[in-house]
Amino acid sequence: MDFEVTYTPEQEAFRAEVRAWLAANVPPDLEEPVDPAHLSYEQYGKRRELGRKLGAKGWLYPTYPPEYGGGGLSVDFALILEEELDRYGLHLPPYYDSGGRLGAASILVWGSEEQKRYFLPPMLTGQWRTWQLLSEPGAGSDLAAVQTRAVRDGDHYVINGQKIFIGSLHGCEMMWTLVVTDPEAPRHHNLSWFMIPADLPGIEVRPMELLTAGGEGGASPGLKHTVFFDNVRVPAFHLIGGENNGWKVATTHLELEHGGGGLIRRHRVAERFLEYCLTTKRHGVPLSQDPDVRDDMVEVYIKKEIVRLLGLRTYWLSHANRPRSYEGPQLSYCRKVTNLEIAEIILRALGPYTLTTDPAWAPLAGLLEHFQRAAVVGLHPGGTTDIQKVVMARRLGIGRTVREEAGRLR
Amino acid sequence: MDLSLSDAQELLKASVAHFVQQECPKEVLLALEMTPTGTTPQLMRKMAELGWLGILIPEAYGGAGRSFTDAAVLFEELGKGPVCGPYFTSSVLGALLVLHGGSEEQKRALLPQVARGTCVLGVAVTEADYGWQPQAVQLRAHRQGDHYRLSGVKLFVHDAQAATHLLCAVRTGDDPRGGITLLVVEVPTAGLTVRSLPGWMGQVDEVRFEQVQVPATAVLGGVEGRGWDVLEAAALQAIPILCAYKVGSCQAVVDMALAYSRTRVQFGQPIGRFQRVQDHIIAMVNHLDAARWTTYEALWKLDSGRPAAASVHLAKAVTSEAYVKVCDGAHEVHAGVGVMREYGLTLHTQRSRALYHLLGDPRTHRRRLADALGW
Repeated sequence: MDFEVTYTPEQEAFRAEVRAWLAANVPPDLEEPVDPAHLSYEQYGKRRELGRKLGAKGWLYPTYPPEYGGGGLSVDFALILEEELDRYGLHLPPYYDSGGRLGAASILVWGSEEQKRYFLPPMLTGQWRTWQLLSEPGAGSDLAAVQTRAVRDGDHYVINGQKIFIGSLHGCEMMWTLVVTDPEAPRHHNLSWFMIPADLPGIEVRPMELLTAGGEGGASPGLKHTVFFDNVRVPAFHLIGGENNGWKVATTHLELEHGGGGLIRRHRVAERFLEYCLTTKRHGVPLSQDPDVRDDMVEVYIKKEIVRLLGLRTYWLSHANRPRSYEGPQLSYCRKVTNLEIAEIILRALGPYTLTTDPAWAPLAGLLEHFQRAAVVGLHPGGTTDIQKVVMARRLGIGRTVREEAGRLR
Repeated sequence: MDLSLSDAQELLKASVAHFVQQECPKEVLLALEMTPTGTTPQLMRKMAELGWLGILIPEAYGGAGRSFTDAAVLFEELGKGPVCGPYFTSSVLGALLVLHGGSEEQKRALLPQVARGTCVLGVAVTEADYGWQPQAVQLRAHRQGDHYRLSGVKLFVHDAQAATHLLCAVRTGDDPRGGITLLVVEVPTAGLTVRSLPGWMGQVDEVRFEQVQVPATAVLGGVEGRGWDVLEAAALQAIPILCAYKVGSCQAVVDMALAYSRTRVQFGQPIGRFQRVQDHIIAMVNHLDAARWTTYEALWKLDSGRPAAASVHLAKAVTSEAYVKVCDGAHEVHAGVGVMREYGLTLHTQRSRALYHLLGDPRTHRRRLADALGW
């Protein structure tokens, strides 16, 4: 077993190239607001610009095929990109792009050649930011119960309905969604998957007022919306994977959203909390010397380490193309529950300071305050913790008579 | 990055699995569970012939000289049994103590025999004031001429009944750490009595010393005061292998619960269809995987020469709790069937409790983890 990526001289040379390129191209004045809801339009613009520059080199979605705008790089090269971006506190893409991260994989698996050539390059090179639109007021955990309708009309479909918990701050160029195309057909055989240009007439986007906005992986969205479709005419060419085949298309991005791709990422909040306890004095001694706080620190450390290892394990399974079953939803479940547990431990260890953003009193400039909210909000995006357990049980072969397989990622 | 086992490790895993199936089926383990040693001369001989009793012992001393991860593969499969007996105590912890602390002469005298199964090492550290910190070692060895004299009790000693030699941590000086020496005490020796403890302990014993005379040449390494350092160095390498045993155990228990929940029908359907039952199993799988990957990472760090202390403490804290919790979950799933001895689940339940404290309980390792991280 080898838990570390060992880099070849060729890969180390690539790292040097990436490092020099980032030094020249990452804007020096990028700011990371503690609360993602405070990301200014100007700051967002700088991230998009960086995304387009990365995209031009194939580095925005480095493992995707070059003919569709990806970098055609192997996982080890992609990891180098991620590691070097991580030094700037950035990920790929350097802004919220749920639709790109999850939808591009679906198009690659299920789209026609013509569709791949049309839709993937702008997504993968950062010309479009794409939102995914899944939940509806009546379809949360039971996603297959969506009601939004698409009716064929000549060479278009006409879409009517409402989607919630959508998107991020500062808009998007493209959306994709799951809608009903055959109300008479049995469950899972009645849905279709559409790419929808965000500027079509009849689309209305309204912000939601939430505790905070969370997301499953990727950069934080900062804001969520309700999206209304009122007789929106979408070209039939925008239907991916064939009519009434939408649920199959969805299994690909749901697998990714259920943690199937794994995660190699530090737990910044946990790390900052531990560092804070080591360097901050209360009652004249470092917090870490208080036996109770010390116990809390150890609990936080153990929990974040377990999630890190489950993420690494799942990442390896996915990228080494090994058989997967319950590991993705397990990672998602453990990550979410662990965040909530860590939030409670931090609340216990540091007390009411954890709940303020006041410049005079907030530890870590309010990072912990935001985490108190984000850990709660983070329980549901990409499937509630209970849904992750349902999927795990099916994959373990106890939920249904037939054992469910993991969704296709390739 | 490659988190898979090597081909050689896969081969070893398959042959151990076959051995456990053939030589240690449930009926045999149920019988062995109640014996003082947990093993038989035949089993010892077979495992020696397969090279497993010397798996960590260098070839120069008659062993197989394999890696920590290789040894962990062996013990993970034994844990699935769960195979009881002195294999971990003697061939892992005991052998590592001799390797780290023994003189060349002691290594040559003891290690080939350990590999052959003709010598079984026991490790006696803890006492009536129980604990795995140096202060808890209070049994004094008084030097008198060319021998030491010992009187006192070592308590909760694993596999002492099977041991031909006990590696005893004794106090030869007052310094909490620097006053500890390891003595190689042959069994039997006049004044030394080993007694199995009644109850739910398995092969865990009391060792009583009454005016026991041990020759001065029995000091491990020949120098007093090095005992605790040697014990810590050996424990750091032995613990992940003990953890691997528990990982195998957890896997076996999860497999039992999965199989049972697919076949046991109540209210007209397999009980695995009930989400309450699924909740137990999912919690078990999460504990299993936390134990598995913390253990594997610690093993990788040991084998690749990286600083491993924090990972070892992490793995020990996580796996000890995991084994107990996984067994508890399995009892929820199995209900009455699970407590019937012949079903076999209680073999694990017993081991999960009896191995909980060995080489330090989760609380001890949590504290050591904080120390290892430099907090």
